[in-house]
Amino acid sequence: MSDHVIGFEHVSVRFARHTALRDVSVRLEQRRIAVIGSNGSGKSTFARTLNGLIVASEGEIRVHGIDPAREPKQVRQRVGFIFSNPDTQIIMPTVAEDVAFSLRRRGLPRAEIRDRVTAALNDFGLAAEADSPVHELSSGQKQLLALCAVLIGEPGLVVADEPTAYLDAANSRRIAGFLLDRMPQQLVLITHDLRLAARCDIALRFEGGRLSDQGEPGPVIARYEEDQEQP
Amino acid sequence: MISLYRPGTSLLHRMPAGPKLVVVAGLATAISLLPANPLLLAAVLVAVAGCYLLAGTGIAEAGRQLWRLRWVLLVVSLSQVFFLPVLAVAANVIRVGAVVLVANLITLTTRTDRLIDALERALRPLRKLGVNSDRVALMLSMTITTIPVIAGFAARIREAQRARGVTVSPFAAVVPLLVMALKHADDLADALVARGAD
Repeated sequence: MSDHVIGFEHVSVRFARHTALRDVSVRLEQRRIAVIGSNGSGKSTFARTLNGLIVASEGEIRVHGIDPAREPKQVRQRVGFIFSNPDTQIIMPTVAEDVAFSLRRRGLPRAEIRDRVTAALNDFGLAAEADSPVHELSSGQKQLLALCAVLIGEPGLVVADEPTAYLDAANSRRIAGFLLDRMPQQLVLITHDLRLAARCDIALRFEGGRLSDQGEPGPVIARYEEDQEQP
Repeated sequence: MISLYRPGTSLLHRMPAGPKLVVVAGLATAISLLPANPLLLAAVLVAVAGCYLLAGTGIAEAGRQLWRLRWVLLVVSLSQVFFLPVLAVAANVIRVGAVVLVANLITLTTRTDRLIDALERALRPLRKLGVNSDRVALMLSMTITTIPVIAGFAARIREAQRARGVTVSPFAAVVPLLVMALKHADDLADALVARGAD
């Protein structure tokens, strides 16, 4: 399997009281992959199986050649995950420390970590906030920090679970612009914002835990909107 | 601790965190053991003010810190004023205030990561007893990060109570606060795993 392929073979995820994913099979090579669907349709479960946060009950998953269930550490180095609420993924008390946290297991010299963190903060326009406590940042800055902390780890795939849900229009544009246009990594974007989904290379639609539609974003979104309008 | 750090290049900023912790712990012990002598107590206050000048934050910062402590100092004095002579009460209040001001110098002049690194190093010899110094340090960092988040939850609950026209009651806020804090802990655990901290 090549380097940038996500493969699902008959994957199901069952929890104690419900089945979150049902027999999902898909092969994805595109750079920007949108995932849409109603609340509770299985989108977030799909996203969490990609980095092993949730393990499949049945079937096989390969993310860039790695099995997340068998090699969780490797897959987490390969896959960066962005949560919708940045407060839940910022771990360290100040901006620079939180970015540096992503490099703590790499065995890099302290000076190199410092240089890389400074460069990354410059890239994201957060250099002036390097020593600021994270709770003093705006929501937009927090999400930028979350993104910066993920990308400094040089993942091959970024999974973003509704990354613009907590943001105003200007910050949404900024984060979406980065994810969709500037970032070279493969992206799985779980979103309710259909305009963002339309900018991707492929859209997947989940309903009731099943992968119910996939293909060019335009037609997939049109069918989704049509179904949503029906009473 | 949460947002006290002020970047700077003073002698105290340049001093390594470990020795700084030891010096401050020594100073705090000395201050708390000080006899209730007016001259000595005045000297302590002058020395603390001098430390703030040395840290480059100015005496005004010491004043701000004291103002934040006003309720603690009031409780300390009220609880003793009926039982002890005035000089002893004043001495106790000055001791408490001076110790907190000296301890705050650490957070004012030390980045949290340096402080946590120092604690991690200090805990390393305890590894033989099964203490994982990495985890203790990470737990401390996360605690510092999480306090403002939980404070934000409390503020949101108060707003929600007001918005519904409910009289703001601290007791009615406890259960939703616990639920939100537990949910946050769950999400944070996911983030730790996702960021490779397991």
